[in-house]
Amino acid sequence: MKGFSTKAIHGSIRKHDPHGTLRPAVYDSVAFEFQTALEMQQAFEGRRLAHSYSRISNPTVEEFEDRVRILAEAKGAIAVASGMAAIANVILAIAEAGTKVVTSKFLFGNTYSLFEQTLKPWGLQVSYVDMTNPAELEAAIDDKTRAVFLETITNPQLQVADMRTVTRIAQAKDVPVVVDGTVTTPYLFKSKEFGVAVEVISSTKGISGGATSVGGVVIDNGVFDWNKNPKVRPWAEKCGPMGLLVFLRREVYRNLGACLSPQNAYLHTLGLETLDLRLQKSCANALHIARSLENSPKIKRVHYPGLESSPHHKTARSQFTNGYGSLLGFCLESREACFDLMNKCKVVRRATNIHDNKTLIIHPASTIFCEYSAEEKAKMEVGENLLRLSVGIEDAEDILGDLTAPI
Amino acid sequence: MKIKINGEFQTIDRTSLTVAGLLTLNNVEHPETVSVQLNGKFVDSKLYPTTNIQENDEIDFLYFLGGGRGR
Repeated sequence: MKGFSTKAIHGSIRKHDPHGTLRPAVYDSVAFEFQTALEMQQAFEGRRLAHSYSRISNPTVEEFEDRVRILAEAKGAIAVASGMAAIANVILAIAEAGTKVVTSKFLFGNTYSLFEQTLKPWGLQVSYVDMTNPAELEAAIDDKTRAVFLETITNPQLQVADMRTVTRIAQAKDVPVVVDGTVTTPYLFKSKEFGVAVEVISSTKGISGGATSVGGVVIDNGVFDWNKNPKVRPWAEKCGPMGLLVFLRREVYRNLGACLSPQNAYLHTLGLETLDLRLQKSCANALHIARSLENSPKIKRVHYPGLESSPHHKTARSQFTNGYGSLLGFCLESREACFDLMNKCKVVRRATNIHDNKTLIIHPASTIFCEYSAEEKAKMEVGENLLRLSVGIEDAEDILGDLTAPI
Repeated sequence: MKIKINGEFQTIDRTSLTVAGLLTLNNVEHPETVSVQLNGKFVDSKLYPTTNIQENDEIDFLYFLGGGRGR
């Protein structure tokens, strides 16, 4: 199997289901029984392939993890309870007090909060740089740096960094690049081809089937030698290229209790099967809407990497396949104008999520970024006149009519 | 062929065997997700189908799934 759609639908074509089910079976069991005490011991030691307890691994969740691994052409994947759990698990595994993460000044609000408010008090150092400025990135990486972290398309600024440049700089200093690929998924961005070590995704979004349930996934592309990370090294010495994933499975992920439920894993596996179709429609809608909004005299600015006028278009075109995503931002005259437009929307829904099948609108400054000062919001370029639109799979003209009629 | 798997001697009814073949005998569906050490050295998963196992070899498998401690 080579094509994305075929792999998404058929996965690894599992052989052993006793009833020949075409859908993944939902193993809604906390614990799994062993025939003998020796088998149980071997499973606990990791020397027998068996599930023991669903906080650690589960057959239905394994099916989802395996489908993601195949689609990403990665070394392995671990499903977690949310996208934030994916980021937290990875950072807690590869960094520690006194070490540093170099990240983008443009981050999803909750990710910024994770770094600033949750992890900094535990001693993690965080440097914020402009990821489109190679010299700034290179200067920020020192011998304490354990990861370079960035989003494939920043939310809500829609900035796209040149991933080859980022990974080249990080690799030269033996630092892994961790990418949040929620907005792109493996359908739009093949992170392994760009040298990304680890990709984290909020599968709550497109992968779940259009926001059906909360979940996340950690993908190890197998391109980074974990012997180069002092914290993961003992696991890399024991487990080779699977070092990070085994370290997560047997310690960090297990101890944090961030497991995905088998019911959600079932929904996410079904969602994967139609991910490409939904992204084709939402990306086409987003491009059409962005072009139309760009020509509207009452809209001051449109952020969308698919627009030829975007400063990130050339980079986006060189590294994304099948589209530029379904997230866009646009600026009106004022916060009041943004609220007025939102209140008049009928098809477009006022909600905080992305990649729903429905088109969603939000005013980031008063919601996702409401806990930050005006100075912090200014640094993150989250203006009071900015609206974020997550374009769904409705008919584009209906979405557009809703957005342009009241303006 | 007599080999040592995860610390225990086993007799396999084969005259020739690869790492991939041994994983199949152990019902492993996704060999690329298993770490394999042959006589103390990691085997690249791409080489599982072509890496031959000899009499008295010591093989250690470490599975990515399962393990750990529940309540």
